[in-house]
Amino acid sequence: MKSIILFMLFAVLAMPQQAFAAIGCTLSNPAEDLKYLYPEMTTYKEDLNEFPLLKDGTELFRALRERLGSDLDPIYETYETPYTVYSVFKGQQKIGVVHGVNVPGKGGVIQVFLSMDPQAGAIRKFFFQRLESPAARQLRSKEFLSQFEGLTLGDFYKHDYYATVDPGAKADKVAAITPPAFDPSGRPDYEASLRGIRKNLILVDFFVYGKKFEPYFERAKQAAEKAKARKE
Amino acid sequence: MSQFDMNERGKSASRQSIGFEALKKFSSATATLASIDFQGRLVRRDGFNPVQNDMEGQGRPGWAFEYHNAYLDLYNVLNPLLSDEQRSATVGHFNLRAGRFYVPFGLNLQTDTHGTVLQLSNDRNFGFERDWYTGFWGAINPHVNYDVYYLAGSGYDLKFKGQSGLGAIRISLANKYSYEYGLEGGLSILGGERLSPDAITRRQTLARDAGSENRVATKRVGLDGRYRQAVPTGLLTVTSELSGGRDLSSTVFTQLYQAEYLRASRQWGVSVQYRRFQQEGLGADASIIGEVSWYFRNDIGNSNLHWIKLNVERQLEQMQGPHSTIATLQYYFYQ
Repeated sequence: MKSIILFMLFAVLAMPQQAFAAIGCTLSNPAEDLKYLYPEMTTYKEDLNEFPLLKDGTELFRALRERLGSDLDPIYETYETPYTVYSVFKGQQKIGVVHGVNVPGKGGVIQVFLSMDPQAGAIRKFFFQRLESPAARQLRSKEFLSQFEGLTLGDFYKHDYYATVDPGAKADKVAAITPPAFDPSGRPDYEASLRGIRKNLILVDFFVYGKKFEPYFERAKQAAEKAKARKE
Repeated sequence: MSQFDMNERGKSASRQSIGFEALKKFSSATATLASIDFQGRLVRRDGFNPVQNDMEGQGRPGWAFEYHNAYLDLYNVLNPLLSDEQRSATVGHFNLRAGRFYVPFGLNLQTDTHGTVLQLSNDRNFGFERDWYTGFWGAINPHVNYDVYYLAGSGYDLKFKGQSGLGAIRISLANKYSYEYGLEGGLSILGGERLSPDAITRRQTLARDAGSENRVATKRVGLDGRYRQAVPTGLLTVTSELSGGRDLSSTVFTQLYQAEYLRASRQWGVSVQYRRFQQEGLGADASIIGEVSWYFRNDIGNSNLHWIKLNVERQLEQMQGPHSTIATLQYYFYQ
């Protein structure tokens, strides 16, 4: 009995005051999943990216938060979180990039995966690997998922720009996305999914595309600063 | 990990362990070719109660260094022999595994029970939950996966004492069914000879058939399934493993049923399990087990875990000895 009391004391002392996990997001069965996305593929390669191991990792992590426009989750979006990028090949030619992220949803973690064109950075397919949500069926519907095909990170940054200078602009492709019909309890997971897509695109822009969409971010940022100055 | 257990007669036992896992992947310019995984831990045991997650520990009192996973995976091993078209047609179909890992029978192959107190049925069914083996695994098509292995049948240590080893085939639903419908399941077949002192001890008459080396002619067919359903406040999971066959001349039948509820916050959960192992002429071992878990961290990918569990097992039937109630308190941390 004494040992049990000692154990309980140890366990209470060991309780963390806050979570500080580093949790990655990987495909559960890469070969099968990638073959489904790219039927012509011959091989694939996994590359692990971690901010602490990247040149300017601290700065990139700060930049992620700024470009996401919201606080980072202390469990799923830490500085130490590892990110696995899948590069898909046909022979020696790179034909695709696939990357997944975890975002916290109402019903638990949501795993948002994107397959992308290796040159343009445009979304080929958006899919959920894990989605425990009251709106899971609606969010997994082909009609909803297919609306994201062809979008780039640039379109999300343009959405920020239009929201400031020309709300409702016809050129705003992100604003044109129609959410599926779901019970109000499903809205937090819908919004978490959109945030997951944006976060995914930002990270892949850092890891794969050499920050090619930065000019769009800068333009949106300048527009927001000008609008703020006008108000003041 | 720190674990303390006690039965209703006051017999207590404890297990303290600290360990590590090393996982490394190897790639060329265009392909991930291989990975290795090794889990090792230093363990201190004082006393012993037959708690589910340490059935092998009876023979290792005091200090011990233990290995658990120790295997090499080679992905798409036929690629060097194939054209690009053939590689495209067979990607993910032919992967080779060699080393020590979960026995490819039932759900254990796709369930990480390394740290949990509740276990699946292989340990009781075969006398070990991991074995040394080599063979192929992969996808047959987008709907079905396969595993085909030769196992040494020796359990913890790799040793050959005249046993022929075991052949095992498992056909299981592809992972997409788990993610899209919450459903996992499979059919397993295993046969050959294994070393199992426990099986022999249980029935001395079998020892004559087995000779002096504890060889047990083994046949099993198993069916398993797990279904996960989101409910308004969390996640409900039901699991079952059923298997039948023979150990030497005795028929055996194993049942396991489990229900779990995990709060949406993933901060606490409760589980209940009923298990029964029946052997012809010897009766059965059966237990009902309840468990409450409090999670400080509970990563969905099992890469960050931190919990306290209270597990109570009531033995309902025993082949040998009196029925016991065993309470186990476990503290576990993995990062």
